[in-house]
Amino acid sequence: MASSRDDFIIAIRSAFLKKETKQKFSLLTLLFISILIIFLSNLNFKIINNLRSVINEVVYRSSFIVSVPENFAYNSYFKIIEYSNFYGEYKFNKKELDNLQSKDILNEIIISENKELKNLIEDFTLTTSKILAKVIVDHESPFLKTIIINKGSQDGLKIGTNVYDKNYLIGRVIETNFKSSRVLLLSDLNSSVPISITPGNIQAIVIGDGENSGEIKYIKDNLLEDIQDQSIGYTSGTGDLFKSGIPVGRLSVDNGRVNINFYTDFTQLKYVFAEIEKKEIDSDKIITQVDEGTSLEKSTEVIKLKLLNDQIKILNETNNRFIEENNNLVSETKNLNIENINLKQVIKKQTDEINQNKIDQKELEFLKLNFLYSSKCQKRGFKKGYKVGTPEYRKCILSRGKF
Amino acid sequence: MISLKKNNWFYKLYTWLPILFLYISVLNEFDLNYINIEYFSFNFPFLLIFYFAVKEYSRFDFLLVFIAGLINDTVVGLPLGISSLSYILVCIFASYLRNITIRPNLIKDWFYFLFIISLINSINYSVLFFFFSFELDIMFYAVNNFFTFLLYMPITYLFDKYLQAIND
Repeated sequence: MASSRDDFIIAIRSAFLKKETKQKFSLLTLLFISILIIFLSNLNFKIINNLRSVINEVVYRSSFIVSVPENFAYNSYFKIIEYSNFYGEYKFNKKELDNLQSKDILNEIIISENKELKNLIEDFTLTTSKILAKVIVDHESPFLKTIIINKGSQDGLKIGTNVYDKNYLIGRVIETNFKSSRVLLLSDLNSSVPISITPGNIQAIVIGDGENSGEIKYIKDNLLEDIQDQSIGYTSGTGDLFKSGIPVGRLSVDNGRVNINFYTDFTQLKYVFAEIEKKEIDSDKIITQVDEGTSLEKSTEVIKLKLLNDQIKILNETNNRFIEENNNLVSETKNLNIENINLKQVIKKQTDEINQNKIDQKELEFLKLNFLYSSKCQKRGFKKGYKVGTPEYRKCILSRGKF
Repeated sequence: MISLKKNNWFYKLYTWLPILFLYISVLNEFDLNYINIEYFSFNFPFLLIFYFAVKEYSRFDFLLVFIAGLINDTVVGLPLGISSLSYILVCIFASYLRNITIRPNLIKDWFYFLFIISLINSINYSVLFFFFSFELDIMFYAVNNFFTFLLYMPITYLFDKYLQAIND
């Protein structure tokens, strides 16, 4: 009995403390370091956070490089599938484009209407700039449905920054490093998004199911029946976690359970947009303290000035073109006037000739008739008539000898 | 059979393959531990670490295993140190088994492996759930545990072939 206990203790000691061949640390040391790291990583010290950021940067980049062959194979497979469905997709997209174009016009109207309404209630408008970020690591994990993007605190991202795929919400930033960030996807079990369901304007909260969809939770029981299949869910903005009015997904009702199918396929994310927000307050309405020294504003001013300079340049160029065109038109008008005068002279000459011709024809006619009816109209002895050369004589000749 | 000359650079690379595989599996986006198939996943690092720790493979440095755990935590998004703790615990239990065993038996190793992965996954789940308030799917752990246990035999066979090629 005692010898078996000795064996056990020897084995334990050997397993924990003995350094094997070529081992630099005993397992017990590494065990303690692991536990220490777990505790330290949970503490919010600046040095630890910076160290963690550096480790994250290195690991994320390494992970991206190691994943290149796999991603290449994966993308090639999808490209082949894409090419085989190309024609069908083209036709579908064409149809979809027509629909979207009409919807786009409608959206523009709604946006401008919304801005006007915000101004009416003296609210600030949020000017947002979306920056494109590449997904460098998309790790399929059941614990955390997250992606790593190549934009970090240096680019203005902070914890809570909304992240989009096209115009659809996909999640928010939960961890930022210098040049990379981790985005918690909506499908994660720990993700909760306050949404409004339309039609009905029902308020609810979507919780990720850990797969690729979400479930509607925390809703009043009597409102559950009001939810229709294929209703649309968009962010309500409650809690200030997400901006309001961003499409999230379409709802499906299944045996009293309401699920939401997100618009975005989280497994196919390659590029995303991170939205950096800044508040733009109407200076006429609200008195605010503006920090003019911030580099962000400076850069905005520089961009504005650049835009104005560009605008002036374009206007000058346009003006010069107009002047040049004007000169051309003036000279062309002069030429046309000269041509006009010449043509008028030609017309006058031709008109004179025509008139002369008409007179000649009348005279010829008179002479012809004179030859025939002069005996009838001429006064001779007692014969009634007119004296040659008088207007009455001429009238008599033209009326063929009738008085 | 493949014969490898021991001073060849290819041989040197070949001897580092287990560690290389471990690092690729933790760094790669495609993780066997989280395959996108419903009710199928297995923990490849556990299998690899346990096998080579039991076999006392000279190139299998525990410090490298520990670092692999840190990398895995960073990539997966778990609190730093959780995977390192799991991997080191696998190494400790494997070392204990190696020290206590006089005549190795594959079936006994197999069930011992089931016991330790169940224990480590339980510790993992408890730490994440109670200390870090993670919402976790317990079914995932059960399924992962089961398939890791099942795949021990075929993977052991492959690793045996690998060691055989080195020793030859």
